[in-house]
Amino acid sequence: MRAYLPDYELRVPKDLEEALAFLANEPGMWKPFAGGTDLMVLLEAGKLEHTKFFSVWNLAELRGIEVTDESVTLGALTTYTEVRRNSILQEEFPMLCVAARETGGIAIQNRGTIGGNIVNASPAADSPPALLAYDAELELLSSKGARKIPYKDFHTGYKQMKLRDDELLTGIRLPRTTKSLRHYYRKVGTRKAQAISKVCFAGVAKIEDESVADVRIALGSVAPIVLRCEKTEAVLRGKSVDERTISAARAALINEIAPIDDIRSTAKYRLRVAANLLEDFLKTVRDGELN
Amino acid sequence: MSARIVKPGAIGQPFSRVDGRLKVTGKATFAAEYKVENVAHGALVFSQIARGKIKNIETSAARNAPGVILVLTHENAPEMKKTPVFGSDSEEMGAASSSILYLNTDEVYFNGQPVAVVVAETLEQAEHAATLVAVEYEEKQAKLILQAEKPDAVLPEHIPGEPSDLKQGDAEGALAEALYKVDNIYTTPPFNHNAIELHATLAEWSEDEKSLTVYDSTQYVIGVQEMLAKKFSLRKENVRVIGSFVGGGFGGKGNAWAHVSLTVAAAKVVKRPVKLVLSREGVHLSVGGRTPTEQRVALAANDVGKLTALIHTGFTQTTEHNNFAEQFTFPARHLYKSENIWLRQEMVHLDIVPNTFMRAPGESPGTFALESAIDELAHEMGIDPIELRARNEPDRDPVKDLPFSMRNIKEAYRVGAEMFGWSKRHAAPRTMRDGRFLIGCGVATAFYPAYQFPAAARVEIHADGTAIAQSAMHEMGMGSATAQAQNLADELGLSFEQVRFEYGDSNFPYAPVAGGSNSTISVGAAVKAACDDAKKKIHGLVGEDDASPLKGTRFDEVEFREGGIYRRDDATKGETFHAILRRFEEDKIEGEGEAAPGAESEKYSMGSYGALFCEVRVDEETGEVRVSRFLGVYDCGKIINPKTASSQWRGGITMGIGMALTEEALFDVRKGRIVNPSLAEYHLPVNLDVPNIEIHFLDIPDPLTPMGAHGVGEIGITGVAAAVANAVFNATGKRIRDLPITLDKLL
Repeated sequence: MRAYLPDYELRVPKDLEEALAFLANEPGMWKPFAGGTDLMVLLEAGKLEHTKFFSVWNLAELRGIEVTDESVTLGALTTYTEVRRNSILQEEFPMLCVAARETGGIAIQNRGTIGGNIVNASPAADSPPALLAYDAELELLSSKGARKIPYKDFHTGYKQMKLRDDELLTGIRLPRTTKSLRHYYRKVGTRKAQAISKVCFAGVAKIEDESVADVRIALGSVAPIVLRCEKTEAVLRGKSVDERTISAARAALINEIAPIDDIRSTAKYRLRVAANLLEDFLKTVRDGELN
Repeated sequence: MSARIVKPGAIGQPFSRVDGRLKVTGKATFAAEYKVENVAHGALVFSQIARGKIKNIETSAARNAPGVILVLTHENAPEMKKTPVFGSDSEEMGAASSSILYLNTDEVYFNGQPVAVVVAETLEQAEHAATLVAVEYEEKQAKLILQAEKPDAVLPEHIPGEPSDLKQGDAEGALAEALYKVDNIYTTPPFNHNAIELHATLAEWSEDEKSLTVYDSTQYVIGVQEMLAKKFSLRKENVRVIGSFVGGGFGGKGNAWAHVSLTVAAAKVVKRPVKLVLSREGVHLSVGGRTPTEQRVALAANDVGKLTALIHTGFTQTTEHNNFAEQFTFPARHLYKSENIWLRQEMVHLDIVPNTFMRAPGESPGTFALESAIDELAHEMGIDPIELRARNEPDRDPVKDLPFSMRNIKEAYRVGAEMFGWSKRHAAPRTMRDGRFLIGCGVATAFYPAYQFPAAARVEIHADGTAIAQSAMHEMGMGSATAQAQNLADELGLSFEQVRFEYGDSNFPYAPVAGGSNSTISVGAAVKAACDDAKKKIHGLVGEDDASPLKGTRFDEVEFREGGIYRRDDATKGETFHAILRRFEEDKIEGEGEAAPGAESEKYSMGSYGALFCEVRVDEETGEVRVSRFLGVYDCGKIINPKTASSQWRGGITMGIGMALTEEALFDVRKGRIVNPSLAEYHLPVNLDVPNIEIHFLDIPDPLTPMGAHGVGEIGITGVAAAVANAVFNATGKRIRDLPITLDKLL
């Protein structure tokens, strides 16, 4: 049953400073409301527990895609549609564009934001695996100042993250170090679109002299958080992609992830498919078929 | 002989839907959209247990919540009389979905049963207050799992009009001795209709409480009218039910579900119009879907591939309060010739939301099992599955021993095989591949009976040369109104633009439920009868009129065309409706008519058929199945409108793809509560899941049916799940007999 709207409060700060003041003055009392593509679903289902929000939708400071020689920084309010249409992202961070295309339908893509996707902290989210594989860094801001944190250290447990009550996620910085990498992204769901992932895989790699010079792998829907699989990466680094390496990597990945049975799939299926996708990733990057 | 240009009739032409523009411009008014003064809003409270009694129902918090006008429970609801259940043994057709006396009883029969209605000034207030109603139950042990209750299964007296146990010869004996055989269990899960328009009822009483107007999203305005008249002790003619546009039904709006009479009761108590729109979750909780099935199909064949035994038996679930048997053995009664046949259907009674008609009830799950089994036998014998079907094509109906009124399955397969390129398919599984995708092709037969029910219509021919016909028929997106306008135009010799068809109102002459794919021919026959009546009246005027060039003609000597009446033997002699009505100073001529299936229909087996071809691509690493090509070749008599009929088939095939691959209502087996009551988790196919579906139709008229036509609504889904499963087998070598074919089953 839909939640009762009069129980809720939504404020609209006039600028970023006022938004940060909300957070600073009553820590934990106010939470940001961006595109609403997750929060409105909870509201409709009567499951939105928090009742006081402030809209960040109009905060120009959190919008836009900024490009420097070293990095591309997405404002936290960058929508999936904006991601899809950005030519630099298409060229250098294609997995992010594919993830954006595979998230929800057109209406959701127009409204849903990358920042919202990160702080919603769903382990089944589709953009975070790509962000992890691209070594994204998060920019956090409070009235006390700004700080940065590698994205791979951000999520600490199911719906848990290193975000203080007085902090706002403002941007996502992507280092422009992807040009020599091969990119591989797969989302597996019950149907071809608009289905929450059973398994989501994002991987980049660089093969030099037939061995793995660089590799970064992240998966969704296989653990309480979206997972960067560093142990599996370690097994691969410096190795040539042969059957022995693939087999060792599969074993490492199966140890590293911890999927569960739920309404959408089984742990068994997820383990098997995660390993299959890893193998396909390795063969694809080895054989040079770019996706 | 005088030369004249014969204009082709409207029938057979691909007119766009008459309601299309209204719908895409938002001008089509659906039940919940009628503007009624002073309307209050209703919300339901649903039971959270599956079986038991209400011990206490605490409503004070809800009553005191903002905007609340009424909390209606079994303690204060007006009496609503028991009425016949749809499909029950009663003489009357009935429209109630169940015999439960909602809010006139403290008994709880299923999880999701409405136990209170909250009425408030706004929808938000009603929904909020509904959450404040606290119900204390005395819970009883509930029966919730089909498999667990099989030992107590019952054999129904009949499954809609047919025996529930039918034996010809000794099928088990023949199976035991057979050279070739397959004998397997097939299962299908519970499904929900998920029509895009949520169920809605808007009820308005007259001040004297003697008459009632109800706007309802229904497939059966006359049924709802009759049910409400009885429930509330009103004269039938004082109850008007309007459902001009219905946003999909698929069987889910064929019965009147709990909310219909509860909305009417609430409006009576608050003395204001009340509107109640179920939420998507509310639909899943209180409107039944399709029963799961457990089916055994055993086939035996001799060395030349002739069937020596056909066994199709199994179980469905239902409730004590609706007793609906889903007739999954119907296809096996008509599709194949076999020396020995055994068909048997048992029902298990559970404490669940009453199951109901859904997208070709019976034929959908039945063709999945039967048409998978035929494919299995073909593989076993190394015979092409189309050829195996041809070898077992009956020349008479195998069970009824009647001739077929029309049957061109072999031709459908011949045409389809050529269009699809069937000869290029590799018969051995796992032999077609494109990168990581395994490719497979499969076929299956589609089948649905041709039903006609009694119906009535009236027609008016106006002095300006236009005409209107009316019948309490339904337009839920099928194209019925367009098809009937085409029929009307041809019957009266008018152009399509000169006629209009009105429907969806119980004030119009009666029409049956929009179910069983009967509307086109049932109402079509009634429209013809009404037109005949009007034409005879016109001829009656001119046949004896000195001023008319038609004086002295007999009715069979004239024809109606181009907005007038003309002699058959001299096309120059005649006059227009306009001229006739002017001369007689009439502004219109009216005709009325009724029609029912003729005695001939008893002497024939009447069905529609289709040959389905499917190609799938299966990702070997993930088990993802993508339907890459689909072709349906249909044998459904004369096609009234190729455009709307093709849309019907495409929609049916899309639903079949959902049934095959993604759809499944999941229940918590401890509590009997659905756990995926949303479009996010009940996975219907999305656009990307559906390839460009190719449609072809034979267009061979049935000599026995009105217009030579058959209904095309339900056949579309039949056979599709089998065609997909057979293609998946061809691709992977894995035979999935348990729907849906989810990814995990292929790894």
